Amino acid sequence: MADEFKVDLSLDLRGLACPLPVVRVGKSIKDVPVGGIVEAIATDPGALADFPAWAKTTGHEILKTERNGADIKFYIRRVK
Amino acid sequence: MKGELKEWQEKLLGVMKGRRNRQLLYYLELCTRCGLCKDACHIYRATGRVEFVPSHRAEILRRLYRRYFSPLGRLIPSLYEARELDERALEDLYEAAYTCTGCRRCMVYCPFGIDITWLLGVEKAMLVAAGKVPEELAMLTDAAIEKGNSIDLYRDLLQEQIKGLEPELRERTGMPGASIPIGRKGARVLYVALAGAHSILPAAIIFNLAGEDWTLSMFESSNYGYFLGDTEKAARVAERIVSEAKALGVEEVVITECGHAYRVMKHLDEVWSKQKFPFRVSSIFEPFARYLKEGRIKVDPDRIAERVTYHDPCQLGRNGGIFEEPRAIIRAIARDFREMNPNREKNWCCGGGGGLVAQPDLEEFRAVTGRLKAEQIAATGAKIVATPCENCRLQLDLLNQRYHLGIQVSAVTDLLVQAAVVEKGQKKAAALG
Repeated sequence: MADEFKVDLSLDLRGLACPLPVVRVGKSIKDVPVGGIVEAIATDPGALADFPAWAKTTGHEILKTERNGADIKFYIRRVK
Repeated sequence: MKGELKEWQEKLLGVMKGRRNRQLLYYLELCTRCGLCKDACHIYRATGRVEFVPSHRAEILRRLYRRYFSPLGRLIPSLYEARELDERALEDLYEAAYTCTGCRRCMVYCPFGIDITWLLGVEKAMLVAAGKVPEELAMLTDAAIEKGNSIDLYRDLLQEQIKGLEPELRERTGMPGASIPIGRKGARVLYVALAGAHSILPAAIIFNLAGEDWTLSMFESSNYGYFLGDTEKAARVAERIVSEAKALGVEEVVITECGHAYRVMKHLDEVWSKQKFPFRVSSIFEPFARYLKEGRIKVDPDRIAERVTYHDPCQLGRNGGIFEEPRAIIRAIARDFREMNPNREKNWCCGGGGGLVAQPDLEEFRAVTGRLKAEQIAATGAKIVATPCENCRLQLDLLNQRYHLGIQVSAVTDLLVQAAVVEKGQKKAAALG
């Protein structure tokens, strides 16, 4: 399903509890160019609400959220 | 003199002036640099760096105060150890304020009871005004405020998360009617968890087994605005919970296993927000210890065979006053319990507090400065370290790896769930995780 996006960086955040998934994404998104896409996989259900709130305050864009069992996959575009 | 100041300097000195009160003057003037605080500080003890001596962390503030607010310091700065507020001073303030875990062990050992962390709060307030703050802490604070402002946008996502936990809850409790109510008006207890399942499901098991009249908060209890030192934002993060508790009309707000969240709600937010809460704030251990005492939950003390020790989170213990309730629970569920030495108000900080755990760049610093805690744990011979704080658990996991401790780091509630006995059929509520 990732085929629709050209992913610049993949982050495996499975097993990490709050607030580490958001912290890791916030730090790592600087490693891709503006317009680049980060794929982040988390298992903490809190990420479902935490990631959109983080994206809204930082100005980045969540392109898609996928669920696959316990895995929650976010595709995030670096906007600035 | 004032006319020579730049706008940003005026702003920061205005912050210091706004914080100038008897407590500030007392702390700044009374320190004799006796050095007792350095031996009480796990960071100084592990690094030997003078910058990390607690009194030295406050020394920058003291020198700035002399430079701009004392008559002699203003006239002859060089004679009175006065210091200019410049970029270098900001750098030093940043390192002093944001590498301290705020454990306040130094205050316990200070002959004058000087609260260095309170002084660092003044330093942080100046840094907040300067916009010179740890990016991660600012980001997490803003995201929490956003969640509160736009809860309608996130409500469905949160409810989806919670509903997904209920099948496992019913399985573990053996109770077909077990549930995790959210935002239920008229409930006696509002339980405020962390974001994520790990602090919701275990507590839900205990609340259901005890037959508590409870509901789950829509918000997470953690408050990074507190670590940031931005009391205005910290109060906004806390206000989400206060407003929810008022709207639901609960009697008791129960804070999950999170040291700083308990301290913020129990001891700080009423001051910040200038209000008196119409509800009681409790640590999760207060109702849980009560359930045990009243026989509302039953436990099997033989299920946890390995030696257990307990780490007092600084914000819950030394700074929050919760020492005995978690110990009462552990003693009830583990036959081989061994205290660390020292413990309670003199316990060593693990090195993960103050928001340090949320800053990846400080991981090596945390590993080094946690040495005393690692030695303390190893001396107990325990295989399980129970501690009721997410920051502490993350830090102890790091120390476990770095110092090869061979321990399991656990929340106290997880151990309680492991030991809890379900009456009908004596079904074992298996350990989580």
